[in-house]
Amino acid sequence: MDNSRQEPTDESLVSAACGGDDGAFARLVGNHKRRVFRLAARFARDADELDDLCQEVFIKVYEHLSAFRNDAPFEHWLTKIAVRVCHDALRSRRHEKHHMHLDDMVMELPDNAGNSKRETRQARQFLKYAMSRLSPDEQLIITLLELEEFSVREASAATGWSEANVKVRAHRARHALKRVVEEHDERYC
Amino acid sequence: MMKDTADMRLERLLAVAREEHIDTSGAEEYFETRLLARIGELRDTPAWYAFVWKMVPMFAVLAVIVALSALTFNPSRKSDMFAAITNSQEMIFAGSYLAGE
Repeated sequence: MDNSRQEPTDESLVSAACGGDDGAFARLVGNHKRRVFRLAARFARDADELDDLCQEVFIKVYEHLSAFRNDAPFEHWLTKIAVRVCHDALRSRRHEKHHMHLDDMVMELPDNAGNSKRETRQARQFLKYAMSRLSPDEQLIITLLELEEFSVREASAATGWSEANVKVRAHRARHALKRVVEEHDERYC
Repeated sequence: MMKDTADMRLERLLAVAREEHIDTSGAEEYFETRLLARIGELRDTPAWYAFVWKMVPMFAVLAVIVALSALTFNPSRKSDMFAAITNSQEMIFAGSYLAGE
């Protein structure tokens, strides 16, 4: 085994970045940015917002890097920060008017998952609209549990809510989302 | 029946969204460069500047409190020690102005 070509671990990159090595920090970002982008893309409304959210996540990481303790994987800590930043973004747009209206969304929901791209796009648009009708907490928990497939324990760790609280919020959020679907069905089906 | 349909539809909707691969590769390009540039900007900002910005809301609250207390507790001008002098001076000035002096 050639150890000289071994990839540096997250821990070594973190300690190097804490010592002022920007290259190590850039490498750390490069190793984990995909996961952050994927998560933030569920919450961002456009490419600019996606970039802003991801930058905010990694700036927070940079600012608090010295507070990272190696008792848990770096990825878990990063996810926690990313979830918090996305949640803050959802809360900050709480008072904005809904730009999407149900009338703009006259469409049939796809009958089979994995249909054509057009149907996938329509389903995504409808889900976006339906999600915009939920509270920030509900949006967050649906995204984590239903779309990103976090376990209840992972969602609890990422949000800081207790597991029981996560379950209750998830149940309520799902119920609220179902009501939006029913409302759509009543009007258009 | 309606509830079952809504449940199934919701499940299908979530399944489609779950399976959808969001391509972020374009947005990820040169992300590290942009990020480090922004971090550099933040680093160049003096600490006192950031501190002052953080203190702005506190100063604003303080200004409101001072203004309110000034309005509430300000003693009447009539009871001011110099009120008599000021009032008579104003009358002299007014008289001079009207007399065209």
